[in-house]
Amino acid sequence: MPDRSEIETLVLESVRLLAEDFEIAALQSADASSTLYASTGSLDSMALVNLIADIEEAIDEKFGASIALADEKAMSAKNSPFRDVSSLVDAIIERIKS
Amino acid sequence: MKTIVITGTRKGIGQALAQHYLNKGWNVAGCSRGDASIQHEHYTHFSLDVSDEEAVVAMARTLKKQFGQVDALLNNAGIASMNHALLTPASTVNRILQTNVVGTFLFCREMAKLMRSTKAGRIINFTTVAHPLNLEGEAIYAASKAAVESLTRILARELAELQITVNAIGPTPIETDLIRGVPADKMEALLQRQAIRRMGEVKDVINAVDFFIRPESDFITGQVIYLGGVN
Ligand SMILES: NC(=O)c1ccc[n+]([C@@H]2O[C@H](COP(=O)([O-])OP(=O)(O)OC[C@H]3O[C@@H](n4cnc5c(N)ncnc54)[C@H](OP(=O)(O)O)[C@@H]3O)[C@@H](O)[C@H]2O)c1
Repeated sequence: MPDRSEIETLVLESVRLLAEDFEIAALQSADASSTLYASTGSLDSMALVNLIADIEEAIDEKFGASIALADEKAMSAKNSPFRDVSSLVDAIIERIKS
Repeated sequence: MKTIVITGTRKGIGQALAQHYLNKGWNVAGCSRGDASIQHEHYTHFSLDVSDEEAVVAMARTLKKQFGQVDALLNNAGIASMNHALLTPASTVNRILQTNVVGTFLFCREMAKLMRSTKAGRIINFTTVAHPLNLEGEAIYAASKAAVESLTRILARELAELQITVNAIGPTPIETDLIRGVPADKMEALLQRQAIRRMGEVKDVINAVDFFIRPESDFITGQVIYLGGVN
């Protein structure tokens, strides 16, 4: 099981790559507290879809774990796991564990 | 070398489509519940049920590692059940919806992720003339394909931003195991409702699939083409 900082590094790499592709200035130097998909966030839904697919692939490649981030739990959660970098890291840890 | 994913390749139309794209020099990744019936150096088989989410996700991960990306998807796997509605058990209804609707959806979702980098993805779903013709005895089968058509139109919009086109083909009856149980008089009556009154052939399907896949068809999405002049 990878530790939290390894997962955070992976998420930040994915966010920065996406930020370059989608030319999202605010996320090109993203850190753990960066807002992602929220009313004040910098991602639109298409960018979010791409980010999630990138992260799912990267998790499988690096850690050999096949997870689905957009599951029912994520859709019904009061606080969306896609809100910011750290909530996304939490969601990944939870899914790798189960 | 381009990669095409085709579901339901063990027999019938799917097997012929796989052979066609192998002959054209594509990598073909096929699947069916049963074992592979095609041996070819560019053919990879996955024994899975298209409605098994975990298995479909695992297949997508394998394809990502093996080929990096996917250029086209043919959601051909499908089952039918011809029976009067009053004689159709819920288990049959569930089985048909699982394969035809859930299976098609899962493959669209997972393969679209692998098409993102090509900027020219192609998804082709399979419907049937049983839906527009409102064929008696095929209520659940036709309803499942109506769902596939709706998925096709909406995904065409949702995936347009990823430069993926999503279209569907609705064949008329073609001689495969799928229609083996249909009585001859029913079949004749059905052919009479087509503008061109002959049995369909696999080559008719291949022609329409080739059309949707061509690079020049990048402005064609959300469309359903029925064969034989049905509409
Ligand atoms: N033939 C026609 O007259 C006709 C007309 C209109 C539309 N269509 C459509 O064309 C498509 C192909 O039909 P066909 O005539 O070639 O049928 P078929 O001869 O019965 O072949 C169906 C294929 O799908 C596979 N399959 C079925 N259920 C599956 C599942 N749950 N998971 C994975 N694979 C599955 C089968 O392999 P396994 O058994 O090994 O799983 C087989 O390879 C279908 O979508 C059908 O609705 C056919």
